[in-house]
Amino acid sequence: MNLALKRLRLLALLALQDIWHDRKVSMCIAAALVAVIAPLLLLFGLKYGVVSQLQSELLDDPRNLEIGMVSSGRYDAAWLDSLRSRPDVGFAIGMTRSLNTQADLVADPQHFLDNAEIIPTAEGDPLLSSLTLSEPLQGPEVVLSESAARRLNVDVNDPLSLFVSRRLDGRAERGRQFIVVAGILPPDVFPRPAAFVPLPLLIALEEFRDGYHIDALGVGTGEPRGERETQFSRARMYAADIDQVAELEQWLNAQHIDTVSRLAEIENVRAISHVLGLVFGVIAITALVGCLASMLGAFLANIDRKRKDLAVLRLLGFDRPAIAGYIVLQAGTLTLAAYAVGLVLYGLGSQVFNQALATSSTTGSVVCRITFMHGVIALLLALLVALMVAVIGVLRAFSIEPAESLREL
Amino acid sequence: MLAIKGMMAQRGHGDHAHRIRLPELSLAPGQCLAITGPSGCGKSTLLETVGLLLAPSELECFMLGKPQKDVATLWRTREQGELAKLRARDLGFVLQSGGLLPFLSVADNIALPRRIQSLPIKSDRITQAVDRLGLIPLMEKRPAMLSIGERQRVAFVRALAHEPQLLLADEPTAALDPHSAHGLFALFMEVVKELQIAALVVSHDWALVETFGVPRFDAVTVKGETVFEPRP
Repeated sequence: MNLALKRLRLLALLALQDIWHDRKVSMCIAAALVAVIAPLLLLFGLKYGVVSQLQSELLDDPRNLEIGMVSSGRYDAAWLDSLRSRPDVGFAIGMTRSLNTQADLVADPQHFLDNAEIIPTAEGDPLLSSLTLSEPLQGPEVVLSESAARRLNVDVNDPLSLFVSRRLDGRAERGRQFIVVAGILPPDVFPRPAAFVPLPLLIALEEFRDGYHIDALGVGTGEPRGERETQFSRARMYAADIDQVAELEQWLNAQHIDTVSRLAEIENVRAISHVLGLVFGVIAITALVGCLASMLGAFLANIDRKRKDLAVLRLLGFDRPAIAGYIVLQAGTLTLAAYAVGLVLYGLGSQVFNQALATSSTTGSVVCRITFMHGVIALLLALLVALMVAVIGVLRAFSIEPAESLREL
Repeated sequence: MLAIKGMMAQRGHGDHAHRIRLPELSLAPGQCLAITGPSGCGKSTLLETVGLLLAPSELECFMLGKPQKDVATLWRTREQGELAKLRARDLGFVLQSGGLLPFLSVADNIALPRRIQSLPIKSDRITQAVDRLGLIPLMEKRPAMLSIGERQRVAFVRALAHEPQLLLADEPTAALDPHSAHGLFALFMEVVKELQIAALVVSHDWALVETFGVPRFDAVTVKGETVFEPRP
């Protein structure tokens, strides 16, 4: 065992000394690989940078997941439950009639907001995912959009009043609900002035307007609410992920529910990503085949040139598997060296790309980059090329007989 | 040390076949034998067969080394691995143009057979031979920087390095001028005697062989068959 290890070490040492002695030729062989690895890494980095930027723009904006219902209908809680239980639905919540999704918000006599949008929310709402609320909204807690908070001049934890008006038996009535700001939503998530409230509050506002008696709003009149089932006029829903928007939309359309979504944009990104992937794939295959051919030529010529040396090694006692190992080791070493150089060149090239991209605002968010896994895959591919070259080299070298060292060529 | 009887090797097939026959050969330790003959008569084929590189088509008896190893039986039972091991351990080859590895220094070239056989690198025998052949100033040089004569001297030491029992030399002086050839041959003879190994030297330089009074086998070619026989 120890003896075999010693021989292996000797063989490796000889293989490396041979490469180093022949460094000019070795460099030429490695250069064929560098000339493919570096540009392919750069191209792939750019493709990956563009596609991942487009995709992250899609993913970062929850509106891309949203599927809007164009017209109102009547949907009960059971329908909403069935909607929510679908695996392609990420979030769904019932909405009241659109007229009732408005209310007045008042902080003090100088700061108020008439007809602010009142939007129901619950745990898992993608619009609120950028906020880190310690717990889901409860009771009087609301989240304000930034524009609403600015106009009301309030901050988190400040109290507010929510007013809702109705006309009952010819009299104007105004219900009031005290609320507390639990969070403020950045303007890029929701630009319009709005308050996100727990669903029961929105339902209470609608029922108040419908003439029912709602205790919480501080108005004593109205019909008792009794045991009535809430009917929603539409739902606010989001697909579980970008790839499921189309599926969910089809399901809704099959029920004759007209919808709007950003499917076209999603398809655009997908098409760009597909085309770029195809372009890269074709270039990569062409380059790899060329690299394989050129490396193979150089490597085989090298083995022919060293035929006599290999025959001498055989004569001195190295068997065929040892010679095969010698060649595989040389091919592997050259590949690793070429990969390292290629990676350095990629690093320099991507720096240039990124600096150029950063100078323009339209390309500023795009970067040329690869992940660690991409690097590993590139290395494995390079080693695969080396292995193919080495295998063909070994087949050639297998015919080398120790007796050849005796014959003068 | 070496005893061969009834060996026949064949090159080519059918009508173009060329047979090489060695009826009998025996060598004692310290003894040197020259094989002479015109070019193309099959000297190299004979050397390859004695050197366990070429399978003989007929072989009565082939005993090698001390203790004796029965090569004939190994060929008969096709124990290629065992033969290769024997070749690497017990035989030393001096190749026509040296056969040195260009990427190793002279010292590393000489040490290589010992490394392959897992012998200690230091050896009095090698140190002595290196000194005797005047190679000390060349030890760190690459073969490409040596003259042909120097290369042949290095090749000679390398062939001895792993302490083989039989030395096989293929035209070791062919590329040298007469003066250098004479010098190298003299050293060769001396070292073989000193180290008590058997040596077989293929040469077409009859005069040189004669000068040293080396017993020789000569080629007699008749109709596609060459027989190597002792020459009085």
